[in-house]
Amino acid sequence: MHRRALCAPIETEGSMRLYLKLAVRNLFRNKRRSFIAGTAIGIGLAALIFTDAFIVGMEQNMIASATDSFLGEGQIHLAGYRESYDVEKTIADQAQVVDQLQHDPLVSHFSRRVMSFAMITSPSNVSSVSMVGIDPDQERYLSQIDEAITSGSYFSGDDKHDIVIGDKLADLLEASLGDRVVLTVAQAHSGDLSQEMFRISGIYHFNIQEMDQAMAFVRLSQAQSMLGLGDRIHEIALRFTNSKYGADASLPFWQRYSRNGNEAVGWPILLPDLKAAFELSSFATWLIGLILFGVVALGIINTLFMSLYERMFEFGVLRAVGTRPSIMALLIIFEAGALGALSVILGIILGALATLIMAHVGINYVGIEFSGVTFRHLLYPVFEVKQYVIYPIVVFVFTILMGLYPAVFAARMSPAKAMRRSF
Amino acid sequence: MSQVNADDLIVTRSVTKVYHDDGVPVPAVRGIDLTVKRGEFTAIVGPSGSGKTTFLNVISGLDQPTEGRVWLAGKELSAMSGRELSDFRRDHIGFIFQAYNLIPVLTVEENAEYIMLLQGVGKEERHRRVEEILAELGLEGFAHRLPTKLSGGQQQRVAVARAMVSRPSLILADEPTANLDSTTGAELLDMMRDLNQKSGITFLFSTHDRDIMQRARRLVTLKDGLIDSDETRD
Repeated sequence: MHRRALCAPIETEGSMRLYLKLAVRNLFRNKRRSFIAGTAIGIGLAALIFTDAFIVGMEQNMIASATDSFLGEGQIHLAGYRESYDVEKTIADQAQVVDQLQHDPLVSHFSRRVMSFAMITSPSNVSSVSMVGIDPDQERYLSQIDEAITSGSYFSGDDKHDIVIGDKLADLLEASLGDRVVLTVAQAHSGDLSQEMFRISGIYHFNIQEMDQAMAFVRLSQAQSMLGLGDRIHEIALRFTNSKYGADASLPFWQRYSRNGNEAVGWPILLPDLKAAFELSSFATWLIGLILFGVVALGIINTLFMSLYERMFEFGVLRAVGTRPSIMALLIIFEAGALGALSVILGIILGALATLIMAHVGINYVGIEFSGVTFRHLLYPVFEVKQYVIYPIVVFVFTILMGLYPAVFAARMSPAKAMRRSF
Repeated sequence: MSQVNADDLIVTRSVTKVYHDDGVPVPAVRGIDLTVKRGEFTAIVGPSGSGKTTFLNVISGLDQPTEGRVWLAGKELSAMSGRELSDFRRDHIGFIFQAYNLIPVLTVEENAEYIMLLQGVGKEERHRRVEEILAELGLEGFAHRLPTKLSGGQQQRVAVARAMVSRPSLILADEPTANLDSTTGAELLDMMRDLNQKSGITFLFSTHDRDIMQRARRLVTLKDGLIDSDETRD
């Protein structure tokens, strides 16, 4: 008669296949319960996927709103300029910097700017603004002033007295297209006041309070002349060939242009509030995940225990016929895994569906300001690979971990007690 | 281990089992000495509550005796760890319970080969043995059915197939006919007796059915957790 040694290996491929088969078939034994439990976990995963897609979409939207409107993806100034906005702090070795930028493969466009606090006066009113001197042709690729024009034009002619202002500022000044306004600035070094009369040639609407009410754009040469700067400038706004470069502080680019007293910085430094808001969003995603899965965890344990108690006699029989405790635990783990797999499939479908719908319809936050940035476009959730790889893996592993407690319970069960408890 | 001869498959000495119900001790078995030789076809009989199931559980290592010692196939069960007991049951004991024997989500064939899978028997050998035993028990054509699609008698025959196919030393059957009608029960017992004669596997089963107990060659009667009588028939 065939006999085997007591400690013969048992984890054969065939037995593993059987345990998997058992787990999957047991999962569908009580279809309704498995479906409800799977859906609950799946909704958790879907919520996580959608939240992440929403936050990525929101971040991209905010970055685009912030950098495309005017800021650019990076800027170069003389060190200290950003803290004081001192008119005298102009970029050092401008010609060399510009030449370098023209040949830099990372840079797609750049725009030179001169900036100063100014007083704008109309026959009816007066207001403080930021006067920005720009090269209209260069600026076209950096900011969206030309696209935001609602009346008039964006420096279409070559009149050096053209000025482009926001609609709110125009309202404040009770001025309209073609009206004359006077800009007053303090000159560099001497501090003498310099005044110039301009004609409103364009009015724009950004839906960003600060830009619509407190900025006035003039030609670069005119601003330089008013401020007595010669050909010096305060700022070079940058657009990269890849929008991710702006946030990549590890790029040697920043060191390359932070020389001779200049500093080159990306948008996360220019908009620290935005960066902090993104970090907060990321933390919120994990917090949401943690809360969701805390609730889901109880559901998983409850489902597995219900299933276990229902089949107590069956487990007793399995133990009686020689199933080792570790294999009993493995069976429960496999069942948890099968539940996890079902949940992940449901979660991915639900998450993708929700993201797909909202990515098609869009979420309207236009005009709402958050962390100093006003949404200018509809917000579209963004699909990312991690949402469909990392989160499902996390949920799957989490479900298996939640199965450990019932698994240990099953492994420790005495077969005789299990069979007695079932009646 | 002078109490166990090579011919003895089961030896129990002064086996007692006391349960505790809300702290109150309830003796189920009160000092049983029993020896079952290899190849016997023995019935443990007695009324409900006489300790039949408890005694079978102790003999098979499913439960630990409160006192006393049990030897099975020359091995003392109390000396084994939980894992060793599992492996010992897998390799030496076939079980048939009164109901719910089978895993409902596995087919007849999968149920029958389950223990062989635990033993690590190869695929071809498993299929050959399962085919053979199913044919012997009149279950040809049922291999791919789920237990729920079988009658009670057929399900018990599958349980017998599962118990037999791993070629154990002992088959323990706890009230195997309790959920069957008398004709089906008698047929099952006749089949078990045939298998006992052909294979030489020892059968020990409990019953309180008088018709069924007549088919045993040895009748051990329990009463209040003690052996009341022990008679052998020809």
